[in-house]
Amino acid sequence: MIGIDELRNCVGKGLEATKKDGVELEVFASWNELVTMRLNYTSDIPSMGVQEPKSTQSFGVGVQAVFKDKGKVTIGFGSESNNLGPRAVREALRKARRYRFFDPDFRSLPSPAGTPTLSNYHDPAAMEAKDTDIVDLGWKALRGALTAFKEKGISKSIIVGGDVCVLKEKVAIKSTMGIDEFDESTILTATITTMVENESVKGTGWSTSTHLQGFDPEAAGREAAESAMRTIGGKRIPPGVYEVIFSRQPVTDLISHIIAPSLSLSFLNASNTPFLGKLGKKVCSSNLSIYDHGALPGQIASKRITCEGLPTGRTDLVSNGLLVGFLSNHYLGQKLSNPVATFEPRNGFRLHALGRDHNVQASISPTNIVVEGREEVPKEKLLSGIKEGVYIGRIWYTYPINGMAAGDFTSTVIADSFLIRDGEISTPLKPNTVRINSNINHIINNVHSVTKEKKATLVWAAEEAVIAPEIRVAGVRLDSIATS
Amino acid sequence: MGIETLDEAGETVKESIDYANTLSGCKYADIRLGLAECKSASSENGTPKGMEEEVKISFGVRLVAGDMPAWGYYGQPLGKADLRRLSKTFRMGINKAHQRALANSRNKAAMKELAPSLSPVRLAPIEVRQDVIPAVYEEDPRGVPLKEVLALAVKITKEMRAVSPCVKFAMISLGTGISRELFQSTEGAKIDQSTALTYAHLYVVAQKGNTIPETFIDHLGEQRGWEITRGKNVYGKSALDFALERTRDTVELTGADFLPSTDEPVVVVTDPNFNALLVHEIIGHPTEADRALKMETSYAGRSWLLRGLTDNELGKRIGSELLTAFSDPGMEGYGYYKYDSEGVPAKRVILIDKGIFKGFMNGRESANIMGMEPNGSMRATECQYMPLVRMTNTVIAAGDRNPEDIIAEVKDGYYVVNNRIPSISESRENFRISAQKVYRIKDGKLVKLYRGGGISADSRDFFMNIAAVGNDFKLFPIPNCGKGQPMQVMKVGNGGPTIRSKARLTGEYK
Repeated sequence: MIGIDELRNCVGKGLEATKKDGVELEVFASWNELVTMRLNYTSDIPSMGVQEPKSTQSFGVGVQAVFKDKGKVTIGFGSESNNLGPRAVREALRKARRYRFFDPDFRSLPSPAGTPTLSNYHDPAAMEAKDTDIVDLGWKALRGALTAFKEKGISKSIIVGGDVCVLKEKVAIKSTMGIDEFDESTILTATITTMVENESVKGTGWSTSTHLQGFDPEAAGREAAESAMRTIGGKRIPPGVYEVIFSRQPVTDLISHIIAPSLSLSFLNASNTPFLGKLGKKVCSSNLSIYDHGALPGQIASKRITCEGLPTGRTDLVSNGLLVGFLSNHYLGQKLSNPVATFEPRNGFRLHALGRDHNVQASISPTNIVVEGREEVPKEKLLSGIKEGVYIGRIWYTYPINGMAAGDFTSTVIADSFLIRDGEISTPLKPNTVRINSNINHIINNVHSVTKEKKATLVWAAEEAVIAPEIRVAGVRLDSIATS
Repeated sequence: MGIETLDEAGETVKESIDYANTLSGCKYADIRLGLAECKSASSENGTPKGMEEEVKISFGVRLVAGDMPAWGYYGQPLGKADLRRLSKTFRMGINKAHQRALANSRNKAAMKELAPSLSPVRLAPIEVRQDVIPAVYEEDPRGVPLKEVLALAVKITKEMRAVSPCVKFAMISLGTGISRELFQSTEGAKIDQSTALTYAHLYVVAQKGNTIPETFIDHLGEQRGWEITRGKNVYGKSALDFALERTRDTVELTGADFLPSTDEPVVVVTDPNFNALLVHEIIGHPTEADRALKMETSYAGRSWLLRGLTDNELGKRIGSELLTAFSDPGMEGYGYYKYDSEGVPAKRVILIDKGIFKGFMNGRESANIMGMEPNGSMRATECQYMPLVRMTNTVIAAGDRNPEDIIAEVKDGYYVVNNRIPSISESRENFRISAQKVYRIKDGKLVKLYRGGGISADSRDFFMNIAAVGNDFKLFPIPNCGKGQPMQVMKVGNGGPTIRSKARLTGEYK
């Protein structure tokens, strides 16, 4: 494992050694390791339990350089993998020089801006966790699920899948503009799905933490099994327009696949967002606020700094129904800011498959997205007054089916869902029988109420965590599927 | 440094595999070492946005060990400096994979009482091969100057913007390269396989007045050299002409009405490009054996074709007699290869034969569980990642009808052109897929263009209702098939001919 001091040394000495070249430089070094225990247990088919105990790691250095030659400004980027010596920085700079070009939208490298608020928020124990201990965590998740099933006398037609992951990230950055920062983080996630197949039920459970203490894959497994068993005996519903409560996973799915991208300057830059031209205007129910906050203590997507070396923090996106901001990095923030709108670059991250990656330049990624109501209510009150509705616990394959700008989306309801009758959760909804066909503008403009209780929630392959409440929405169109 | 650097690495891989074989309880191991030379450039709105030339190196180890044999894996990207210490790096990876396998095996044995179906890893036997496969290209990607790549990218987006003032955003990413992968196993397999790759990835947004912007993203590419940018591709168009055609289409659509939805199925004719995504989602994924065996339940779902080992659709009718589908890595396309990531020779797999479901794409482990022959369908996007069952060139077979006749026979229906975005239900038993363009067909003629439309159907119904299959088969590149955890984004080939069936129209939300 590479220590943070080695990364700091790399960027410090690298910058020093290249000073004589007279170029503006930003040197970024990273080390990441992702350890994954992928689960697969099928009671009626031979299976491995923990199918894939695996890891991959990367480290290296990336250099962003600004060259000024006879009044002409060009920029270039180069990187070097698995090397943190001065030679690596020189080689990355050589590539940056070789691949330089003129970009009329480039203004400057980032300058220091404020002081980061998080410090020492990673878990040294997780950073040093032994391989064999992480293998054990995967098996604990499986044990939790199977024990819960056994307690209810279910031993056949079981599926347990998902994964337990430990992501370790270390970065250091130093620039000729005065940035000199570093960051270390640990993210632990257990995301478990279970099924009782002959009952056509699926359940989800998860545990997330920044520290081993408090991380409980076994509880996630148990939660997934209990959730599946709760929905045994599900019924179909006729197609129609319903009062719907979106639980945390659907709220997260909608945020991750539709709303967060739409609130990114990357999409605004391409004119490909339903919020085009709406900054400062009302875009949704005044009961809804959404913000990104990368410096929330204890949350798994929190970081001390961005990958541009700037402090993370809160970026308000929607405030009481008004569109007030977009997620930004330094480059697009400078390009798109104007006299009436500025964008704070709190979301410039170099995320790749394995974490914060020296090989790529900073694009825009959300961190912790918090969804709030102006007047938040307990869950019971969310249900109150719904004569006939649907509680949706898990959706899947949520995509902006007609392009992001149109706002139309579709997804299917696959688990953890119930009918609501006379203000109470009643019969389970049969999974995979309902498709949502709607538009995101319709959803966010018809928010009736939002719960006070929230939980950090992840969906597959998403970069961000959503601190998600449950949300009641009026007039959601649900169609019947799989009728043949 | 280029792919020839690996000439000297083969012996180190062999020594490392021999070392793995000496470890306690090791039943099987393989090592993959890959090196890719690639150059790419991007442009937005007629200005350059980036260019680079890079060499990517990575390796991965799979190892089975323990009294109750279990998997252990390790993978990582490498740098140039690592090539001088490959032996040490491989041993570190092998040792980690071995420790994980042993820990995994111990846990598996301890859980057997609570989880009776837990089983030892068993790999279906294969004919062990040693082979060298060179890359195929006319214009060597290594000989293309990077500045030429950037200049073409800038020229294309400049001309896209010039198509109309309605074009608000034009972006292209162009790349070309060559990669080589060594595979060796404790069984004696030794495969040395190289491929070329050239692509153009396109993104265009157009808007008329204050109407909803129309967006389109498309991809041109082949596992060939730079010649594909000059027209040697499925479209028969240069990268520039391809981009301009897509841009003009997008501009035209800004003036079109949105497609209205229907509650009941209507007659739809779907073109080969649309069918590429249809076959990808509705035939390709549910016929991947790992998905059918429930291993993807937590991620991309299961397969409606296999409820259990004895309760499934094998040998049963799932479509009309006109529907035949297969997966063939031997065809030129994004799914082309000679050996998969387990060293198994690639072969054509018949998936559906005249409407009867025939079988799954598999790997050695899933083939053993299903009692089938391995058919060489395991792949990883890079050597650091673990192979998964992936579709190859997965297609609907050509029929014998003239596509123009297929449209001309329709009294009242819709012609669905070019794929856009899919949304699939959990076991792929239902789908909604949007198209770039939908035309109303009236008395055999295309009478009106719509935007924002697509189709939705239950998969079995759609297959059973296929009433005509064209002779205009085409194979398209799909660059972004996501699967696994961490997600691997794989290139695959998908396609087919024009077909006619029935589905509900899905249009603008109202």
